[in-house]
Amino acid sequence: MNVEEQIKDILARITRVDKSIISRQSTFKDIKADSLDVVQALVAVEETFGIEIPDEEAQKFQNFGDFVSYVESRVPQKEKV
Amino acid sequence: MSLEGKLALVTGSGRGIGRAIALKLASQGADIVVDFFRHRESAEQTARDVEALGVKAEVIRANVGDPAKIDELFDMIGNKFGRLDILINNAASGVGRPLADIDVKAWEWTMNINARALLLCAQRATKLMEGRGGKIVSISSLGSRFVLPNYTVVGVSKAALEALTRYLAIELAPRGICVNAVAASAVETEALKFYFKEGLVKDSRQATPAGRMVIPEDVANVVAFLCSEEAFMIRGQTIIVDGGTSVGILALAGK
Repeated sequence: MNVEEQIKDILARITRVDKSIISRQSTFKDIKADSLDVVQALVAVEETFGIEIPDEEAQKFQNFGDFVSYVESRVPQKEKV
Repeated sequence: MSLEGKLALVTGSGRGIGRAIALKLASQGADIVVDFFRHRESAEQTARDVEALGVKAEVIRANVGDPAKIDELFDMIGNKFGRLDILINNAASGVGRPLADIDVKAWEWTMNINARALLLCAQRATKLMEGRGGKIVSISSLGSRFVLPNYTVVGVSKAALEALTRYLAIELAPRGICVNAVAASAVETEALKFYFKEGLVKDSRQATPAGRMVIPEDVANVVAFLCSEEAFMIRGQTIIVDGGTSVGILALAGK
């Protein structure tokens, strides 16, 4: 499963929405994620991929696509280490 | 008051009250373990500012709402330093919602970070304080005893924190460990700006008899006192730092 699908699964599990409604353009509000859901999703993604996503970065995410792109940019970087 | 040679863990010390406490204890000579959860840059800044005061700083990331992370945090302190003199249980989180909207997730998240963390951190900290005494100080808020709008879960978690402070104080007294708490009213921090935005608190300058809002350093000063030997006979107390807000009736009098 690719990064996008894995993050989609995590978000869907936390917010209890059907993952089919999550697209790259979806905002956290669109998928009914409140601030606690977002933090829990960030932590779950961090643990899944073994990365750290500081709030300073997370606050820049405008939509799901930004979230995925950030994680994708970090994962290969970690694998190279 | 000197804390020279002491080691202090301040949970949630990247920003706000925790940062002010870290700097205050460092200014008195204590080495500081800076714990953070979400803001690494802020934590590293706190560590640099601590080191600029001539003492050591160690940054570690741990969500104190997660027992496994608490274990990692204390394993690190145990392995690296083999001791701890001061535990400042400051890290806090919360969900501002009306009662009807508080779900199990919001309840557990808040209670685990704000209240359970004190129990679990104290259990680990006391082992590192064995034979050397120690100080445990938690940060509470007026919401533990007064009702603030949409503050239910946080208020209840702080009430639990204060009750736990009393129980710990008695049980740990024979080991020479002093346990207390400091409860502040609205303190000028980044977190407060969030609460303003969420409509949880209003500008409280008018309601504060002391004429200004509480700042993080006001809280840090009292915490530092509770960490000193001068405060040895204060046990299980929650000291209120609110510029008189909770006992003043100026707001009611319409002044």
